[in-house]
Amino acid sequence: MESKSLLLNGISWSIFRMGERTWLLRPQIEEGVLEYIHKTTLLLEDSGVEELIDIIPAYDSLTVIFNSSDIDLKKKFSTLNTTVQGVKLQLLIHEVKVCYEVGLDWLEMEQKTRLTKEEIISIHSSKEYTIAMTGFLPGFIFLDGLDERIAASRKKTPRTSVPKGSVGIGGNQTGIYSLESPGGWQIIGKTPQSFFSVDENPPMQLKAGDKVKFIPVSKSEFVEMEKNNG
Amino acid sequence: MGSLTVLDGGLFTTIQDGGREGFRKFGVPVSGVMDEEAYLSANKLVDNSKGSPVLECTLKGGKYRFDSRAVIAITGALMSPKINGNEVEVNTSVLVEKGSILELGFAKKGCRTYIAIQGRWNIKRVMGSYSTYTQGNFGGFEGRTLKKEDMLKWEDSSNVSDFKKSTLPKDQIPYYSSKITAEFVPGPEWNWLSKKEQEKFFSSSFNVNSKSNRMGIRLDSEEPVSINNPDMRSSGVIPGIIQLPPGGNPIILMKDGQTVGGYPRIGKILDVHLNRIAQLPPNGTIRFKKSEGF
Repeated sequence: MESKSLLLNGISWSIFRMGERTWLLRPQIEEGVLEYIHKTTLLLEDSGVEELIDIIPAYDSLTVIFNSSDIDLKKKFSTLNTTVQGVKLQLLIHEVKVCYEVGLDWLEMEQKTRLTKEEIISIHSSKEYTIAMTGFLPGFIFLDGLDERIAASRKKTPRTSVPKGSVGIGGNQTGIYSLESPGGWQIIGKTPQSFFSVDENPPMQLKAGDKVKFIPVSKSEFVEMEKNNG
Repeated sequence: MGSLTVLDGGLFTTIQDGGREGFRKFGVPVSGVMDEEAYLSANKLVDNSKGSPVLECTLKGGKYRFDSRAVIAITGALMSPKINGNEVEVNTSVLVEKGSILELGFAKKGCRTYIAIQGRWNIKRVMGSYSTYTQGNFGGFEGRTLKKEDMLKWEDSSNVSDFKKSTLPKDQIPYYSSKITAEFVPGPEWNWLSKKEQEKFFSSSFNVNSKSNRMGIRLDSEEPVSINNPDMRSSGVIPGIIQLPPGGNPIILMKDGQTVGGYPRIGKILDVHLNRIAQLPPNGTIRFKKSEGF
């Protein structure tokens, strides 16, 4: 029986065949898991492995999908381990303007955190976050690095529709709803910026591994920016 | 240019093709036809190339007027299709005269019917695919299900003038049972189930909940399968994955399913069996059987 791990990007990964043409990889390391997942995503994207058609980076795993079920994963990836040195995370820092005034769940947030709205805004907008992943729906941005003082459990009953651009907190994560969708996060604000467009290739400029900083804007600035977006 | 006008879009009719790959890291599901077998047959019968779009009708097909002559093929669920009131053959190519009205009723067997139209459809691809993803409002026809007065157009292919009937061989016509046994391979979190709960999963019969859709087939059973639900971090999922939420009622992710999920992935249905699951009507039943591997 083949061993259930492989070397990639200088570290060992456990491998699990999850589908006919899909494998789940998990880094076998203690620290820096997310960073390795992001770096390895870039490595695989630049690898030129033609049969590799989809990569789903997540918090502690990387899912790789091929166009054929006839793939020897270890063989396919064996040559990639040599190119580790060449891969550098091309980090971008994105400034995301947020109007906290239009948040929908301030009462609940204040109750859950025992902080005032102003304190929550100040904490939320003072940190730099890492994009952990995008998904589960198109353009949804999961951010890592929320201050635990403003962590808040999800709403008991999820909203059937959360407006596009909503900025929310769900447990110890914060994130952005790039498209209107159902969702259970506490909504604390809204960005007038658009992060997902089906008419552009790629549809998103932000990628897993990039950094995000929230810049508070007033309601009048927000309205003005929304107007300019058409 | 050929065209048809929608007189009644049925319950849930969308344009689909083989799906949209390469964008899952942005959270874009693969979409595409639920039953690939019926899809491939339909396009083959009208001599369209492999990735051509088709109409996917769910449970009730609707009514369509052909504003020009066309060669079509209907495969998948049996919805008693009629042209101008006369029964029309399925699993074969059919020449439809200008002005004809095609009507499809409720599905008698199966759940999803496919209509292929010969020619190159005049619709825009989004991220490389014709498939409609209704939740994201993109792809296909304005990102939504078809409704009255929508108009579909295609570039006529010359074959219409020398039409030759092409029929699916009998042994390639599937029978759509509302009771199926689906084979699966254990998923990454299968071992989170105790031996007793694993046994329960094999011995139970699951009912298809009417809330099932293109995102997922929701299953109910008399005795839910319980799982210790340690905090799981969201991780990649694909169509065919059997998720088990804390309530104990499994969900089989389908073509519009999300790209990552936080529920234990107890198994993955074999792709070939997924076509049959796509044809299960509400209240259909599934039993699961372990497969040795992919």
